[in-house]
Order: sequence, then structure tokens, then C-alpha cells
Amino acid sequence: MIIRERLIPYLFLLPAIGLLFVFNLFPTIATLNESLHANSLVRGGRIFIGLENFQRILNDPIFWKSLRVTVIFSLLVNPIQVLLALGLAVLANQRVRGIAFFRSIYLLPVAVSINVTTIVWGLMLDSQSGIVNGVLALLGIPAQPFLTAPSHALWSIIILATWKGVPLWTLFFLAGLQGISEPVIEAAKIDGANRWQIFTRVTLPLLRGVMIFVLVADTVANFLMFAPILLLTQGGPQLSTNLIMYETYRRGFVYGDLGASAAMLWVMLLIVFAVIGLEFFLLRERQSS
Amino acid sequence: MTEQVMTEQTKSITIQAASRLGSKRRRQELLETTLIYILLVFVAAIVLVPLLWAIAASFTPNNLVFRYAYPFSWRAFLPVEFTLDAYRNLFARNFERSMINTLILGVTVVVVGGVVNAMAGFAFARFNFVGKRFLFIFTILVTFLIPIDLTAIPRFILVNSLGWINTWQALIVPGLASSMVIFLFRQFFEEIPQDLIDAARVDGASWARLFMAVVLPLSTPVMITASLLLFLSQWDSFFWPLLVAPRPELRVIQVEISNNVGQFQTLWNELLAGSMLAAIVPILLMLPFQRYYVSAITSSGLKE
Repeated sequence: MIIRERLIPYLFLLPAIGLLFVFNLFPTIATLNESLHANSLVRGGRIFIGLENFQRILNDPIFWKSLRVTVIFSLLVNPIQVLLALGLAVLANQRVRGIAFFRSIYLLPVAVSINVTTIVWGLMLDSQSGIVNGVLALLGIPAQPFLTAPSHALWSIIILATWKGVPLWTLFFLAGLQGISEPVIEAAKIDGANRWQIFTRVTLPLLRGVMIFVLVADTVANFLMFAPILLLTQGGPQLSTNLIMYETYRRGFVYGDLGASAAMLWVMLLIVFAVIGLEFFLLRERQSS
Repeated sequence: MTEQVMTEQTKSITIQAASRLGSKRRRQELLETTLIYILLVFVAAIVLVPLLWAIAASFTPNNLVFRYAYPFSWRAFLPVEFTLDAYRNLFARNFERSMINTLILGVTVVVVGGVVNAMAGFAFARFNFVGKRFLFIFTILVTFLIPIDLTAIPRFILVNSLGWINTWQALIVPGLASSMVIFLFRQFFEEIPQDLIDAARVDGASWARLFMAVVLPLSTPVMITASLLLFLSQWDSFFWPLLVAPRPELRVIQVEISNNVGQFQTLWNELLAGSMLAAIVPILLMLPFQRYYVSAITSSGLKE
């Protein structure tokens, strides 16, 4: 009876933990194994090849180019999205009539999937007859090759990712802003702080936890950007939008090279962990100084 | 006497100054409010322009989709020669199958996954047992640190070796357990008064009975949030179904609309009509449940 009683929590946990283990953790570890093996043409079946897959991708200029594009993309899109989201949260936190109506509108891109976003913006950014070029023409700006020039394509991805992403991160900042108690702000006001001082010295430090979360989550989400590349550019023109997630997919599922794909995935995992660690470290540092 | 006059004068001067100061402040406030509204409307326009244009274009004959986009005119936001052709053609190509597939997938994951995750949340909230901390950290590790799409390729290799490619179980089973939903339930179950559970235990209810008859009926708010989270994650899922269920009979909505991009590249109004059908379901779920929806989304980040 007592033993049965003791087993009960494990029985409650078993289905969920079992599923998480089998479908999330186990395959990820197994990939490391996959990346150490290759299909043998001579003997058939699998043979152990050690770090050969890693060596292969590390000697591959396309892989390096893809990493470079991903880093540039990250350095552009993450600060843009986080700053815009913070600004939009401050705006949506203003106490004016009808603010709830505006907040509902700002929520719309959160509900629209990235694929829908990509399809709609892809047509809007059309080089010949897109609506964005139509609006630019009104301002006297010549039509831009948004998706067809290496200099423009990555920015087009950034634009559509930002339209979709900023409202999501705004929700977190808004929740954070609403969690700041009124007396704290009032006290700062009585001490004679102006609004900018209140924002930078009171509000921002109180948003630190939210800021860390948004930075990390946004960085990871953008690092895994995939659908817009598959649907709009297939990595082009001239590999200018060949983000790492798309390159990993292409190796595995277009060229059938799952070994290289698995090796890339491990490189990506390491990068994700490094970025998360770095962002935590940087935000801690600033806090203590 | 003179003193009184003086005070009268000072008073009136003070009042004048005060009202002048007041009107200055009021003017400043008015200016600020106007500025806030300008910004609010500007952002709303950026959000709405793509959606309004896409809706209008989906009701427009294909050859006229770009008529008012370039050169641009306000009429781009109204259908040119209103027609349902795009939607009719989509359904003639069996588009509804992908919607039905995704509904089946979403509802199954909500029902089965809901119970599975609620059980785990209950164990974490109400029991003390050996390895609790370890298992809890394990679940945190699994979803919060390893993003789901990043493990898709290893999961594909596993599901492939199980012979599940192009089957329903490949779509459903890996999506059932969600650490985020487990946390949501755990948070909620921790708040249930201990007396209630003790009372049921004294009455001789088994844990399974107590869970089904006492705990779950109390859990409507968290179940709405969890269901939204699970359903929407299935409605929006793309990468995983693309890998494991490319067969047309199993296509989910995001795969279907994306497939159209390659296959019907120049049928712009149909691309947009499909996109609008894919967008309308989450929007219709979001509007009545906005509060739950927002808490579903923010719950992942702020509860530390």
C-alpha cells in the first residue's frame, strides 16, 4: 500500500516526461551519434567516421558563408526588434481613451503565422508591382529590387520578421511595465526626476528580467528563421539570405546528407547555448557595476 | 485697509498666474495626447496595411491584384471588381482538407496533451517524491533551453526509423507533451487549497478519481489558456509537418499554403485567400479570449 502510494507521483509524471525524453532529449543526443557516422557505399549500413562530418562542414565555404549571413542578420534584427518592442510597449501603456482598441490591433501579427506573413509581405515587396514600391513611388523613390538583389534581400527578411515579431515581444514588455507599482514612479517624481530619468533609472532597471528573457528568446527565434527563406529566396540571391537553419534543412532534406545536417545542428546548439550564456553574463555585469 | 487691498491684489495676481500656468500645462498635455494618438495611428497603419491589402486582393480577380498597388492608390484596400473566385478555386482544389486535418490535429493535441501535461503539472505541484528537482530541471532543460525546431531533424531521424513518416502519429505524438503547459498547470495547481484535497482523500477517493473529479473541474481558466497554447502551436506548426507529413492527404494548413507558393506562384489572389483562411482561425480564437491568449503567451517568460 505504502509502495503503491509512493509510485503515484511517478505514474502522474510518466506520460509527459516519457514523451519529452523520447521525442526531445533522446534524439538530440542521438544526433551526435548520427553526426559521427555515415552510410557506407561499400559495406552497406552505417560506419563510424569520427569527426569527419564536422571536418567536412568546417572546411565548407558555403557553411561559413551561411554562418556569416546568420551573424549579420542576428546583429541587425535583434536590436531592431527589442528596441521597437520596448518603444511600442511604452506607447501601448499610455493611459488614453481607446488604448484597448489599439492594443487589440497590435496583437494581430501575433496571431498571424510566419508563413502567412511571408506570403503577404513577399507579394507586397514584389520588385515590379509590389505595394511597397507603389508607396515609395509616391515619395519619388525608384522601385527597389527587394527580393532580387543581394544588397536588399536580407533587409526584406528583416522587415517581415520585424512586423511579425515586434508585437509578440511587446506583450512581454507591456506585462513588465504593468507590473511596476505606481508608488515607485510617484516617489521618483516627487524626488524631482523628469520623465527620461524615470524611464532610464527606474523603469529600465525594473524591466531587467523581462529584458533578459526577450533578448534571449528573440535571439533564439531569429537564429532559427526558416519559413521566409524557404518560401521567398531559397537562400539567394547569391547566398545573401542563406541563414543557417535553411542551410541545415537543405543539406539534410534537399541533398540527403543527414550526417552533415546533424553536425551543423550541433554547431547551432553550441552557438545557441553560447549566446544565451553571453547575454545573461552581459546583463549581470551591467547590473553589478 | 491697505494691507487688505494688497492681499486682494496678490490674490488676483496669483490666481491669474495659476490659471495661466494651468492653461500652459493643459496645452502641453493636449499636445502630448495628440502626439500619442499620431504614433498610435501610425503603428496601427503599419500593422493593418498588409492585412487589409491581402484581404482586398483575395476578393479581386487575379489579373487586377496589383492594379492599385503599383502605382499606389487608396483603392488598393478595397477589392477591385469583387469576386469569390479565389476562394472558389481553392476549395475546388480541396483546400478544406488541410483545414480539417489541422483541426483534427489541434483538437487531439488539446485533449490528449491537455490531460498528459495536467497530470505532470499536478505531480510537480502536490507531491513530494525522490528525484522531483531532477525531473523538474530536466523538463526545463528540454523546452526552455533547446528550441523545438532545433531538435526537429534528430526527431525526424527517430520518427523515420519508427516507420512513422506520413502517418497521423508522427504529427500528433511528438506534440503532446509541452514543458510550458506543464508549468502553467503546476502554477495553477499549487494554488488549490490543501483542505479540498484532504477532504477528498478522507472520503476515500483515489488519486486518479480526485484528479478527474475534484482538480480538473476547478481548472477551467488554466485549461482555456493551455488549450489555446496547444491548439495555436499546432495551427501554426510548419517545419515539423513539412518534414514528416508531406503527403497531400495529411497536409496541414501552413504546409498547404506554403506549397501553393511553389505550385501556383502567379495565382496571387488564391495565395492570399489561402493565407487569409489560415489567419482567420487564430484571430477568431484570439478576440474573445484575448486575456487568456495574452497570458498564454506571456506565461512562458515572466513566471520565474
